[in-house]
Amino acid sequence: MAVDELQAIIQRCQILEEADFKGEDFNLFQVAGQKCLEDGYASQLLEVIQNEKNKVIIKNMGWNLISPLVRCIFMYKQEDDKREHCLKILDQLAQLCNPKELFLGLLEQIEQTSGEQVCQTVMLLLQPLQTVLLKLQNKKAYSVGLSLAMIMNQLTPLPVPYTKQQIQEDKLGLCQCCNAVVGFAKPFVNEVVKSMEKSSEYSDMELKEELVKFCMKSLKYPLLTAQLEQLEGIEEHPFRHFATEIIDILWDIKELIPLVFLHHKGKSPHWENQEFADIERKNSADSLACLSYLMFVQHFGIDCFPMVFSPSYLLQCNMTHIEVLLKRTEESMLSKGLDLFESCLLRMEDNSLLHQYLEFRDFINVPQDLVKVMTLCPIEHLRKKSLNILQLFIDKFDAEGKYTLFRCLLKTSNHAGVEGYIIKNIKDQIHLSLTKACDNIWFTGHHLISLLDLVLLLPEGAETDLLQNSDRIMASLNLLRYLVIKDCESDNQTGVWTTLAKIEQNFLKPLHVGLNMSKAHYEAEIKNKKENRRETQSPNTVCSVSVSGEKMPAMTTEMQLQVLHSALFTFDLIESVLARVEELIEVKIKAVMDENS
Amino acid sequence: MTTDEGTKSEGEVQAAALAERGEDITPARDRGVLKVRRMGLPGRVLPCLLHFGVRGHVGGLHPQPLGSRQVIKAWDIGVATMKKGEICYLLCKPEYAYGSAGSAPKIPSNATLFFEVELLDFKGEDLFEDGGIIRRIKRKGEGYSNPNEGATVEIHLEGFCGGTRFDCKDVKFVVGEGEDHDIPIGIDKALEKMQRGEHCILYLGPRYGFGEAGKPKYGIQANAELVYEVTLKSFEKAKESWEMDTKEKLEQAAVVKEKGTMYFKEGKYLQAVIQYGKIVSWLEMEYGLSEKESKASDSFLLAAFLNLAMCYLKLREYAKAVECCDKALGLDQDNEKGLYRRGEARLLMNEFELAKCDFQKVLEVNPQNKAAKSQISVCQKKTKEHNERDRRIYANMFTKFAERDAKEAASKIGVEKAVEKAACEKGPKTPGAE
Repeated sequence: MAVDELQAIIQRCQILEEADFKGEDFNLFQVAGQKCLEDGYASQLLEVIQNEKNKVIIKNMGWNLISPLVRCIFMYKQEDDKREHCLKILDQLAQLCNPKELFLGLLEQIEQTSGEQVCQTVMLLLQPLQTVLLKLQNKKAYSVGLSLAMIMNQLTPLPVPYTKQQIQEDKLGLCQCCNAVVGFAKPFVNEVVKSMEKSSEYSDMELKEELVKFCMKSLKYPLLTAQLEQLEGIEEHPFRHFATEIIDILWDIKELIPLVFLHHKGKSPHWENQEFADIERKNSADSLACLSYLMFVQHFGIDCFPMVFSPSYLLQCNMTHIEVLLKRTEESMLSKGLDLFESCLLRMEDNSLLHQYLEFRDFINVPQDLVKVMTLCPIEHLRKKSLNILQLFIDKFDAEGKYTLFRCLLKTSNHAGVEGYIIKNIKDQIHLSLTKACDNIWFTGHHLISLLDLVLLLPEGAETDLLQNSDRIMASLNLLRYLVIKDCESDNQTGVWTTLAKIEQNFLKPLHVGLNMSKAHYEAEIKNKKENRRETQSPNTVCSVSVSGEKMPAMTTEMQLQVLHSALFTFDLIESVLARVEELIEVKIKAVMDENS
Repeated sequence: MTTDEGTKSEGEVQAAALAERGEDITPARDRGVLKVRRMGLPGRVLPCLLHFGVRGHVGGLHPQPLGSRQVIKAWDIGVATMKKGEICYLLCKPEYAYGSAGSAPKIPSNATLFFEVELLDFKGEDLFEDGGIIRRIKRKGEGYSNPNEGATVEIHLEGFCGGTRFDCKDVKFVVGEGEDHDIPIGIDKALEKMQRGEHCILYLGPRYGFGEAGKPKYGIQANAELVYEVTLKSFEKAKESWEMDTKEKLEQAAVVKEKGTMYFKEGKYLQAVIQYGKIVSWLEMEYGLSEKESKASDSFLLAAFLNLAMCYLKLREYAKAVECCDKALGLDQDNEKGLYRRGEARLLMNEFELAKCDFQKVLEVNPQNKAAKSQISVCQKKTKEHNERDRRIYANMFTKFAERDAKEAASKIGVEKAVEKAACEKGPKTPGAE
C-alpha cells in the first residue's frame, strides 16, 4: 500500500520536467517514502531509488528522506537485512541528490541528535557528508568548517573517558568517533596541501583556516581533558592516535610551528569587540597549552620542531601555557601543566637560568600557582609532584634568581609548611656558599642579612599561633642553629653575629614569651577538660564540622585531650631547640670574650 | 622527519671536515663553534633538520632576535657572522648547544651538533607587533634585564625626522616620564625591551612619536614619522609590586598621583595613564591592610580610577572610561564625579538611557550640579533624535515587509494546504513534520 502510493507519485513526476516539480509533489514524495520505510519496505524503496528513470526525481527530492531514514536505521538491529537496505539507500542518496540540499539535510540530522546517540549519528553520517562536501561547488570551505564545527559542538558535552577501563569500554563511542572525524577531514587537508604545493602564495586561505579552527577545537576538547599517557595493554590508545593525527594535519598545512610560537607574539584576531577578542584568546590559550603539552611532553611532532632554541627560551615560551594549566582544578589539566613544567625544567642545567627571567610576570606567578597546588589540591600525587617541581625550579636558577625567588615565596605563600621548606632551602644555599670555594655574595653578608630579616621573626610577634606556624619556626631555629655552629664570630661570613641583637628582639624573645603563654594556655585547657570530664558527660558541642557534606562525629573528651597533649609536645620540641640555640650563642660569645681578655 | 643513512654518513663526513678546517668563531677562542662556508666543502646533502629550521619554517624562525638567548649560543654566535644569502656549516660543542641536560627526545646528553644554515633574510624587529616601533640593534646589550616602567635610565639619543637631526643629548629620566625631556612615548616603550649597553635604531610611527600635536619646539609637524638612535647606558629598575610593602606603596602612590595630575594638566594623557595605572597595580590587589592603611589605599584608588576615567575620556577610549568609573563606584557608589564621568562616557557611546540614569543619580547626590542638569536635557534631545531616525528607518522597512508578506502569503497557501493534508494522513506517528 505504501509502495503503491510511492509508485503513484513517482509515475506522475516521471513525465514532468525538473522545473515543473511543485511543492505538493515534494510533500507527497516525502510522505510516501517515509511510509515505505516505516512499514518495512526498504528494499522496494531502494529499487525505486536505483532506477535510472527516477534519477531526476531523486536528485531533487531525495534529501527529504534523510530524516526518516536515520530514524529507521537506529530502529533496526545490527544484523537486520532492512538495516542493510537503509544503509544502501543512504549511500545512494549521497551519490544522487543535489549536494546543496542534501548537505543541509545531513547537517540538520547532526544538529538534532543529542545524548547517547550523538556519536552513532555522527559516525553514520560522516561518509555521506564527506561525499556531498567533495561534490559541492560553492562555499565549500565554509561548509566544511560548518560541518566540523557542528560535529565538534555536538561532541563537546560528552564526558571524555579517562581511566584505562573507560577508554577500552568507550561507552558512548567517543574515542571511535573522534578518529572517524579526522578521517573525514583528511581529503580536505590533502586539498589544502596540494594547492599549497602549486603556489607558495596560497590564494584560498579559507579552507585552511577552517581546518586550523577544527584542530584548535580538538585540542581543547577532547584532548585537553583526555588521559594521554601510554597505557599498558592498549596497543592503539585512541586519544594518542587522535592527537597524532591532529598534529599531522597542522604540520601538513604548515601551521604547527607558527602555532607553537603564537601566544608569544600576542597576536589577537581582529575582533572589533573587545569581549569577543578576550573569549577567543582564552579559548585558544587552552588549545595552545594542550598543543605544547603534546609536543614537549608526549613528543608528538617534535621531529618537526627545529632544534635550535635555547632551553631557557623554551621554558619562557611554555610558562604562559603552564600558568593556564595550573590555574585549573581538574586532575587532567593540572597533571598536564605539571608534566609540561617538569619537561621544560629537565632540559636545563642546574644554576643555568638567569635571574632576569624573574622579571617576566609568569616566572613569578607560576611558582605561586605551584604553591597553591601543593597546599590546596585534594589529589595527593599532584601535591607531591608540585613540591618536587618547585625544588627543580629553584635548582635551575642562578644564585641571585634563587635569592629573589625565596624572597617572593616567603612573602606570598602564606603557608607555614611551604615557608619552612623555603627556609630549609635557604640553609642549603648558605651551606653551599660556605663550603665551596666559589664566592657567592647572595647567601653571605648583607644580602643574606636582609633575607634573614624575613626568616628570623615571628609573623605576629608573641601572639603568633605557634602551633600553626610550627613548621616555619622549627626550620628557622634549625637555620639559626646551623649559622651559629658553622660561622664563627671571628669570621662572621654570614653576618649573623652582627645582626644578633635584632634576631633576639624579633625572634627569640617573642618566641620565649609565646611559648610560655601557649603552654600555660594549653595546660589550663587540659586541666579544665579533665575536671569537666568528671562533672558533666552531656554533649554540649559549640560547633560541628562537616566534610564534603558529611557531618564529622564530635570529638570525644579523650580525643580532645590527645590533641592538646600533642600540642604541648610540639611546644616542648620548639623550646628544646630554642634552648640549644641560645646555649650555643652564649658559649661562642663567651669564647670570644675569653680570647680577647 | 627522516634522516636516511646516506645523509647521515655524509653529514658525518662533513662534520669531520669541519672539525679539521673550520674557523673558530667563538669570542672565547675555545673552538666551541666552528664554521665553514659551503663552497669549501663537497657534499650537497643537508641534514634535513637544520634545513627545516631555516627554510621550511620561515614563520617559525624569522622573528628570532639574535643575542637575546632565544636560540642556543652557537646560533647566536654563528648566525651573527653571516651575510644575507650565505650558506654555511656550523659544528657546535655541547657547551654551546644543549649541554649535559640534552633536549629530549632528540638530543642526548653532551651532544655535538652539526648544522647547515642558510640565512634567507633578516629585518628589524617589530616591537609591539603593530608596526609602530621597529628596532634594529646595532650593538647588542649585556645581560638580560630590561628597564621596567618607573625605572631610572641614562641614555644617549639622537632624533631624526625626514633626514634632519632635531635632537641630540645625554639624558637621565624615569621610564614613562620621557615627555618631561621632550622624548616621545615610543622611546619609553622601546626602552622596556632594551638591555644595558644596547645601541639601536628605532623607527617610530606617529602614534608612538609626537602624534597629532607634533612638536613645535623641534619644528616637527603633526603625524610625523621619527627615527631615533638610542644607546642605553645604564638603568636602575623600579621595584616590582610584590617587592614593596604596604607603607612604601602608599608613599609612592602619593608621589605618582602628583605626577599623573601634572601630566594631565599639560594634556599628556598617555603619560598620565601610566602614572595612575601604577597606583592601581600597587594597591588594587593589596590585602591584609590595617584600617588606617585601607582607608588611605581606598582613597588613592578612588582618585586613580576617577582620573583614569577622565584620561580615557580625553583619549576617546570610552569603554575603558566606563570600566574605570565602575571600579571607582565599586569603592564609593555615590561618587559624584564617578557617576558624572560614566554618564559622559556613555553619552559619547550613544547609550543615552544609561547616561541619563547616571546624570540623574548625580542630581540625587548633589541637586546643585548644573552641568548634570544640562547633560540630562542633552540626553533627552539625543534620545529623541535617535528615536525619530529609527522611526523613519523602520517606517520604510515595515511597509516593505508588509508588501513582501502579502506576496508570500499568496504563494504559500497552496503549499500549506498540502502539508496539512499530509499531516492528517500520517496522524500522530510522525511528530517531526508538525
